[in-house]
Amino acid sequence: MKTVGKNVTVFDVYDRAKTGPKMEEKKWDYEVIPSTARELKKKYNIKMDKTVIVPEDKELINNLFQAGLEMLETCGIYCIDTGRVIKYTRDEILHAIESAPDHFQYGEGQEAINVTPRAYNDTKAPVIQGGPTGSPCSEALFLPIHQAYAQEPIVDTIVDGVLQTVMGKDPTPGSPWELMAVRSEALQVREAQCRAGRAGMGL
Amino acid sequence: MRTSDSHEVSQLNELKIDINALCQGAHYALSGSCVMVEQMPIFGGYAGGLEETAIVDVATTLNSFVMMQGSWHLDGPVHVRWGITTAREALAVAGHAARAIEENTHLILGNQYYTLAGPCTVMCLLETAAQAITDTISGREILSGVASRKGVYTDQFTAMEARMMGEAAHAVAGMDLHDVNVILDKLVGMYEKDYKTAPAGKTFSECYDVVKLVPTDEYIEVYNEAVKILTELGLTYWNK
Repeated sequence: MKTVGKNVTVFDVYDRAKTGPKMEEKKWDYEVIPSTARELKKKYNIKMDKTVIVPEDKELINNLFQAGLEMLETCGIYCIDTGRVIKYTRDEILHAIESAPDHFQYGEGQEAINVTPRAYNDTKAPVIQGGPTGSPCSEALFLPIHQAYAQEPIVDTIVDGVLQTVMGKDPTPGSPWELMAVRSEALQVREAQCRAGRAGMGL
Repeated sequence: MRTSDSHEVSQLNELKIDINALCQGAHYALSGSCVMVEQMPIFGGYAGGLEETAIVDVATTLNSFVMMQGSWHLDGPVHVRWGITTAREALAVAGHAARAIEENTHLILGNQYYTLAGPCTVMCLLETAAQAITDTISGREILSGVASRKGVYTDQFTAMEARMMGEAAHAVAGMDLHDVNVILDKLVGMYEKDYKTAPAGKTFSECYDVVKLVPTDEYIEVYNEAVKILTELGLTYWNK
């Protein structure tokens, strides 16, 4: 990994989205992505057996990582609004991986958890984030539904559902009702966590 | 929201982004928030088959940390035909991608859950367990769910599915990978033949006393039936 001037930021990405090479979205979807993935599968000899859901072969594991890394380096990312390709160098990708957080605090107070990396054979269980994961919730039941998740001892944090209506209105994306709905979701999850005796729990 | 909550921003299929997402990312970066970058690669979509989708999944995951300086990546490989994350192919993509990244980096990875069957059914709980097992033994750090019955029906999900997600994960943490793969193969085989007749299940208010917030006796019985199957497959968590 060579030295880079500085790590890529989301601001750099925006600039590249305005200046990168132009491309038709259809070409990206139907040519660039499938053909690059196919070539890398061949180059790295990636063969998966569906009966072995988690790979046990170290060579396959490492080859798949290299193929994915090369996929990102070769293709970059397509910005649908500007019709341009955002490119990274391999070293920029490697530095971003290297400097990514190796831990973070999720939640506050006595319900805060410290999220740290775990290995595939770790005896430490993963963090359990319970909730409807963006599924539609009725206004009437939003709070009790989320309280039911918060009161499960094995649940560490909450991932909330979305309000189907707010004050009876459809929270159409981009409308004032959307803002009302999002704020209401956050406040009700907080209340659900408090009612379960778990104030400070992450969301 | 507090900075210690997860602030979500999503990539698009496959290896795409929009300006609005970059603005969200900029806001999160400037506020010093915990950033969760989400994306669900599609098996059978633009990328193609199993291996191609797994390669794209690795690339997409790495991008979360380059593009958005994410704190963690929320995955969710989804089957193009069934729209679920618990199909064998979706599990294999998730299991391979996570294991590849876990072996080569310290990145923090999550996965999200979309089952075909609905709450209060054994199938829904077995689907959930299969994914929790896959995620745990491939080295993921955060399990996020469950959006039962594909997450599209109002109030058709409950905390009992999250309980299963957690208990199945705790059940296999630290177990031998090969032994768990054998269990997984059998477990997925138990429900994958039933996709066309997957039970819709029940709504939250049919599964819980919505005032006392306790699950119905019926759901407890269904849960115990799923536990019995998992125990017979070799998980000892519930023997304690």
